[in-house]
Amino acid sequence: MRHSEPMRRFVRADGPEKVTGSGRYTADLTLTGQLIAKFRYAEVSHGRITKLDVSAAREVAGVLAVLTQDDVPDLRYGDAVADRTLFARDVVRFEGEVIAAVAATSAQAAQAGIDAIIVEIDELPAITDVEEALTEQSPLVHEGWADYESGWGCERNRNVASFSSISKGDAAAAMNTADHVVSSRFVADGSHALPIEPRSVVAQWEGNKVTIWTSTQVPFKARDGVCETLGLPSNRVRVIVPHLGGGFGGKCGFHFEAHIAALSRAARRPVKLVFSREEEFLAPDRRREGIVFEVTSGVMDNGDIVARTGKVVVDNGAYTADAGFFPQMASMHLAGPYKVANVHIDAHLVYTNHQPSGSVRAPTAPQACWALESHTDELAAAIGMDPVDFRLRNCVDTGDEGVVGQTYDEIGLIECIEAATGAAGYGRTELAADEAIGVAVGWWPSFPGASGAYVKLEADGSGEIITGAQECGTGSVMTLRQLAADELGMDPEDFQIVYQDTAAGPYDAGATGSQTLLNNGRAVQNASRQIAGQLRQMAADRFEASPDDIVLGDGVAMVVGTPDRSVPIAELARSSMNTELLLGHGSSAPVDTPVLRNSTCVGDMGLSAWIGPQFSCHAVRVKVDRDTGVARVVSVHAAHDSGTIINPIAARGQIEGGVVMGIGQALSEGTQYDERGAQRNAALLEYKLQTAADIPPIHTKFVEVFTNDAGPNGAKGVAEAPNVATAAAIANAISKVVGAPVRQLPMTAERVWEHSVGNGEVAS
Amino acid sequence: MSFVIATSVEEALAALANGASPIAGGTDLVVGARHGKFELPPELVAIDRIEALATIEIGADSMRIGSGVTHATLMADPAIVGSYTAVADAAALVGSPATRNVGTIGGNIMNASPAMDTGAPLVVLGASVELARVGSSRVVPIGDLWSGPGQTTASADELCTAVLVPSRPAASGTAYVRLEYRRAMEIAVVGAAAAVELADDGSISAVAVALSAVAPTIISIEIEPADVERGSVAEAASQQCSPITDLRASDRYRRHCVGVIASRAVDAAARRAAGESIAVPVNRALGIGAA
Ligand SMILES: Cc1cc2nc3c(=O)[nH]c(=O)nc-3n(C[C@H](O)[C@H](O)[C@H](O)COP(=O)(O)OP(=O)(O)OC[C@H]3O[C@@H](n4cnc5c(N)ncnc54)[C@H](O)[C@@H]3O)c2cc1C
Repeated sequence: MRHSEPMRRFVRADGPEKVTGSGRYTADLTLTGQLIAKFRYAEVSHGRITKLDVSAAREVAGVLAVLTQDDVPDLRYGDAVADRTLFARDVVRFEGEVIAAVAATSAQAAQAGIDAIIVEIDELPAITDVEEALTEQSPLVHEGWADYESGWGCERNRNVASFSSISKGDAAAAMNTADHVVSSRFVADGSHALPIEPRSVVAQWEGNKVTIWTSTQVPFKARDGVCETLGLPSNRVRVIVPHLGGGFGGKCGFHFEAHIAALSRAARRPVKLVFSREEEFLAPDRRREGIVFEVTSGVMDNGDIVARTGKVVVDNGAYTADAGFFPQMASMHLAGPYKVANVHIDAHLVYTNHQPSGSVRAPTAPQACWALESHTDELAAAIGMDPVDFRLRNCVDTGDEGVVGQTYDEIGLIECIEAATGAAGYGRTELAADEAIGVAVGWWPSFPGASGAYVKLEADGSGEIITGAQECGTGSVMTLRQLAADELGMDPEDFQIVYQDTAAGPYDAGATGSQTLLNNGRAVQNASRQIAGQLRQMAADRFEASPDDIVLGDGVAMVVGTPDRSVPIAELARSSMNTELLLGHGSSAPVDTPVLRNSTCVGDMGLSAWIGPQFSCHAVRVKVDRDTGVARVVSVHAAHDSGTIINPIAARGQIEGGVVMGIGQALSEGTQYDERGAQRNAALLEYKLQTAADIPPIHTKFVEVFTNDAGPNGAKGVAEAPNVATAAAIANAISKVVGAPVRQLPMTAERVWEHSVGNGEVAS
Repeated sequence: MSFVIATSVEEALAALANGASPIAGGTDLVVGARHGKFELPPELVAIDRIEALATIEIGADSMRIGSGVTHATLMADPAIVGSYTAVADAAALVGSPATRNVGTIGGNIMNASPAMDTGAPLVVLGASVELARVGSSRVVPIGDLWSGPGQTTASADELCTAVLVPSRPAASGTAYVRLEYRRAMEIAVVGAAAAVELADDGSISAVAVALSAVAPTIISIEIEPADVERGSVAEAASQQCSPITDLRASDRYRRHCVGVIASRAVDAAARRAAGESIAVPVNRALGIGAA
């Protein structure tokens, strides 16, 4: 196959602009007459608005619009359950909730307008402990939410926003037969996606149509949110994303586009919003969820896991955003890529007065993998088996039935374990007493979905891909050029990409769910194949051959095996002006969902059967300063089955980025809350990302197992999977050095030290 | 709001006399104001282009480090690395290359954060500070400069012109170690500087230890060579500090760790005194903290 030829290294189409600074991001845009927007936030985590008076703000010099919920259609919206309004009405439920918005001729005037708004709030006790919020006695975050609409059939019971339960076999009975039963509890703090570009939105109306430039990962979803909340048809809202300065999931979802569009309409001027770093921490409804895990497994002396039960409590925060499927994801990850015949796991998504949770790179997976894989090392220890041998014995391989009764097609988990541990020298390398290699396995689904693209060849033979897909830095949109080039026998450099514009490209779900290449890749292939068909027909006509005998390659169309009967594709493109233009359109076809046997999934959101599942193993060498608890990652060996790798440079970049994010989650990234539900470390000084100086060597190995159960040329996703197993592997290394698992995430130095001196859960 | 760029010490002093506040690298002042810690002073005099403040002079019995010398210079200057190694250890840990290239020693000590890195080394070195105002100047021992977190005993019209550090005896060594969670853009969770002198027989004849981030100011602890022999440096440091709990660490953890860090600092200083070459900063060379 062409794609597995020695990989061509091509320059990313958006690379030179980004590297030289000529590329433009949303915050770089300035429109004539533009106003600046600012928001008034709740600033308390829970309270009843007793007074909201914006009349003085409207009189402030330079202020041209002030909006509250009274000024927009009064409806609730939301993915799983319609629990939100654009502006707070009556009750505020987290500190970053928007109460009002101002547009003014300068940032100073906008701030003066914000300051002139009179808001009085009767503070209510904040519901901050997710386990307490789950109890019958807990006050409700949303009183009367029984009346909210739910597209996903959520039960709207107590504070439980959604619930999911995996049940297979008879876990209780099987547990009684086990030689050893091990129970563990783990608590993961919430964290942030933290894109370095704080978000920005610019809106401008022309007649009854609005154009919105915004830093979103999901332009169509942002458009649909504006349409829903402002009552507009899709074709009157155009969302354009200039270059996006990172997202990591934090910019998935519809956020502030409607606020700015509404301000712009009211002010009759273009309006621009640019977040400060603090706002980027506090206001979006996409932070990584805190989770409490309890897991119990029964193992036999021979190493077989026979039963697993678990309870997962996910902190939803104040609104549900896209977190409705988190219980199911978390329970799949707590069950793990293992052959366990008897499983029962209940998972709850629970409202609190924290910032809303939402899809951040592999939502719930790094935390759940960390809990499960720490527990897995405890299981191996209980029977005195090496943890890698224990995994090799229990993990799923091709043809095995997994925790939910899915039988896996061609998969490479065993090869991943062998590759990562082998390269890391696991069991063979002499290590100092303060060092250890920890190993963890992870998995993650691919998400098939609707996605479209157009491809055209111009008369000069240059190509253009017009796609609905969104580039969030992963390079996956850039890789589309290679797929088109492969179909048409051209060079990737022959193609330009038009993307990130809802009025230009057909629908795509956006830079979310590792889905771009999987779905849009198939759309681009299909569109390119139409043109390939046109080119073959043209060449066949010219050489009086059958179209089936025409091959496209190296920029020419040739009768197979006869180089003297060939014509440059550019020449065919030129003649297309006199015949039929070279235009293709493509869409990703639906994919069959695997059948599940022997299991029931309550609250199933269609995500228990995994299409194109990706597998990974990370082996991480860690050094722990036992006197202070400071852990340092020395090296990472990551092996991944993401199917066929189409663009190795970009894919390796994803592994490295995911690992770096995983190191941060493992050691330093966690939101600290005060007792009133406010974030205490909403700044880069005290929310500790890893820096370049902290990053160890990262060695990547792709285990390329060809499976039909995947996307273009056998490719699966690769963006989220690398983020899954790193924290877990680090945890297992730390545990080996200090003698016990650290049961809180992040495993900060202080926590490691407290655990090593035997003090259990600690506050910070 | 006014912003004046001074090109001489006299100009700067005149501006201070008229109520302006000095700004050197601005890495504390501007960042602090942006974070809402305080308002940016309405009148600023920039002192970063005053050449006379950016020099290091070696005298007969002391070294004079101009207040405008940057951390990047301190960490690499052969005289500092050779004789006042703890200062270089500290400077090398500050922020990032960008911070070190503009942040100054004067700004570090005048900002008076209890977590500042160059403070503890200067205390164990017995440094003093030269403060000038229009028409006069005075020298104060560095320990007398700080009166609380963010507070100094200097008056608003005084400019710190230099730090004076006495020459070091033969067979002596210094080191600064800090506990950090990452390798760049970090603030000391706790830190400790040590100065050690050796007698002819190689035994420790003098020791000084100062601690950062465990009290309202940098503190110097009471310690004898016998404490080092007995292995009770950690205990002495832990006992004599008064740490707080904040986002970075609890008081309990700080109290424990400052002992660990202090004994590592003494150990490194003693090894340097004995002639061993331990590269700057000790944190990286010996794999301490996040190293
Ligand atoms: C990202 C980052 C990381 C940092 N990391 C560290 C670190 O690891 N360790 C550390 O110790 N610090 C750190 N800092 C703090 C800061 O960089 C240092 O304290 C630096 O030495 C301050 O020097 P400056 O010249 O920038 O001071 P400025 O910000 O210019 O001034 C600080 C204060 O001192 C006053 N001042 C300055 N010079 C004089 C003078 N000559 N006479 C009288 N008053 C004066 C100013 O008026 C102001 O009040 C960090 C800062 C940042 C932004």
